[in-house]
Amino acid sequence: MLLALMKKELLALSRDLHGMAALFLMPMVFIIVMSMALKDVYAPTTAHLTYAVLDQDQGKAAQELVARWQKERGAAQALPGDWRSEVRAGRLKYVLLIEHGFSSAVAEVGGTGHARARLFAEPGLDNGMFETHRVRLLAMVTQLRAEALLANLPDKIDLGELMGEVPAAAERMTSGARPSAVQQNVPAWLVFGMFFVVASIAGLFVEERSCGALARLRSLGVAPWQLILGKMLPYLWVNGIQAALMLAVGIWLMPLLGGDGLSLHGVHWGALVLMLLAISLAAVSLALAVASLVTTHAQAATLGPILNVLMAALGGIMVPLFVMPSVMQRIAAYSPMNWGLEGLLDVLLRGADVVGILPEVGRLCGFAAIMLVAAFALFRRQS
Amino acid sequence: MLEVSALSFRYPGAAVPALENVSLTARAGEVLGLLGPNGAGKTTLIAHLSGLLAIQDGDISLDGQPLASLRARQPTRIAVAPQEYAFYPTLTVTENLACFAGVGGLSGTQARTRIAECLAFSQLERHVAVRADRLSGGLKRRLNLAIALLHRPELLLFDEPTVGVDPQSRAFLLDAVKALAAQGCAVIYTSHYMEEVEAIADRVVILDQGKVLRQGALSDLLGADATELQLAVAGEESGRLTALLSPFGHVTRQGDGVRLSLDARQDVAAVVAAVAAAGLEIRRMRYGHADLEQLFMALTKRSLRD
Repeated sequence: MLLALMKKELLALSRDLHGMAALFLMPMVFIIVMSMALKDVYAPTTAHLTYAVLDQDQGKAAQELVARWQKERGAAQALPGDWRSEVRAGRLKYVLLIEHGFSSAVAEVGGTGHARARLFAEPGLDNGMFETHRVRLLAMVTQLRAEALLANLPDKIDLGELMGEVPAAAERMTSGARPSAVQQNVPAWLVFGMFFVVASIAGLFVEERSCGALARLRSLGVAPWQLILGKMLPYLWVNGIQAALMLAVGIWLMPLLGGDGLSLHGVHWGALVLMLLAISLAAVSLALAVASLVTTHAQAATLGPILNVLMAALGGIMVPLFVMPSVMQRIAAYSPMNWGLEGLLDVLLRGADVVGILPEVGRLCGFAAIMLVAAFALFRRQS
Repeated sequence: MLEVSALSFRYPGAAVPALENVSLTARAGEVLGLLGPNGAGKTTLIAHLSGLLAIQDGDISLDGQPLASLRARQPTRIAVAPQEYAFYPTLTVTENLACFAGVGGLSGTQARTRIAECLAFSQLERHVAVRADRLSGGLKRRLNLAIALLHRPELLLFDEPTVGVDPQSRAFLLDAVKALAAQGCAVIYTSHYMEEVEAIADRVVILDQGKVLRQGALSDLLGADATELQLAVAGEESGRLTALLSPFGHVTRQGDGVRLSLDARQDVAAVVAAVAAAGLEIRRMRYGHADLEQLFMALTKRSLRD
């Protein structure tokens, strides 16, 4: 009996082109588009910013600064005549202006800062990017100044020898893949796509009820728990296929499209499967509760997607959690999609094993249990 | 076979019961016509028989066993061909049959054989690979029938099975219902088309406002009103005709003619002779039992129902 119910469910889904597109095509498109669009957020390509240099000083230190800057940031563009308007309009990202007297100011003991190297950036330049350039310029000029001051000492000192290695370092605490747009977007849109079973399950359930097929099944002796299980098991498979497909897109398709590839290096496979199963249970159970609640096709077609988009917006799917303010981050902690996403990020980025993801798995399974009880109660009330 | 005894049911919050003290019997090899206007309680009764509503008061038994326990053990002994197209529109004819066969416990060769038999009985063989939502109205009704027959039910409930089909499909479905009864099935058939019920039912139950108004063999029910004469004559002579026929019984105007309920002692031949003697030319005359529609309307009155 269960096999017949499951087969019917999968056949009906396979004939529902919109449902199939929402389950498989939509998350895939999101992964590709968002990964490409957000690529620079995770790996800013500072060398690509177009800039020009206006060296009013022409001194030795100024020339050295320009040489070092170009070595790091690529060659400068030719300086346009009206460079200020070009920068204001954003056609030129920034101009490095070295004021007259800079070279002498660099070597001046107890400098007064009357002549500076100045960076004029376009108004729309990202804050992080602006800060990176400002700090880098400061560091370069400080280095030049140290070199110039030491050169004036009676005993010549080799600065390289004197300074040695700078006693500071920064690194990410990661055991596996480094964070990238793909590494964030694959789990995010996979979770989103998995929860889209709500619309498919609810739509078919309403149709089943309104056309009388459900009454026929009941009259053939099918119990409510069998009906619910007959819907649950096929969609767990559907979620599994979605997961395999989205991971494959991240691993193989994204590099072909010029993006970063998803890396499963060092991933704990048991934890990954358990996490996916927990997300799937939560998604399918929510779908069954919604399906038992709605009574019309219009309700099924709107309630499911609205719930999904809300949970995604609040849960860090659409906007990564780390860019949200703390209030929004606290709200996100109540979204099942966020539990799923954080669990997947734990596995894919933070090298978590089964024990490491138990809190998220527990929350998702608890949510699934509540939704299933609700689905069962609503189903009994409706029938 | 099926015995419904003093069945009563009231929906939660309803002011009046949907069924009140309903008793009826359906026998193997017979078609029981279940008639009633909208809201009469037919659907509630069928929902009880198909296991969708629990009994509040009264009893339903099949071969002496309580329906609820029998349904729990053998749910496929009773099958319903409901008013709606109770199948999956995006699945093909065969996929639908395979689904409901599997749900009812048929599998493998047994399922394939039975599906082929039901396809043949419903003459759907040429449409096996067609999606159900692309079938015509008549074919959809035949698929509904085929699904209902899958598990060789002993009791078949047909709820308005001919709504929206062409005359050919209707004739086919009626023949099929008669054939099933002839094979030994007990059939309960509800319809608003009186001529259908009159054509196939052996016995009739007329239900209204949750109560059984009349039940019995069709011939008995119709024969009870066998003394009615409907008569129309040429010209504007209704007034004269009424006066002429009054001595024979109760006369009422009906359209361009009259309706005469003959007194017990009177003979229809005497009436015809009187009309001829008066020089009136008979244009139309009908004598004998009333048809089912007349009986139904007389019993359930003409007031519109919800």
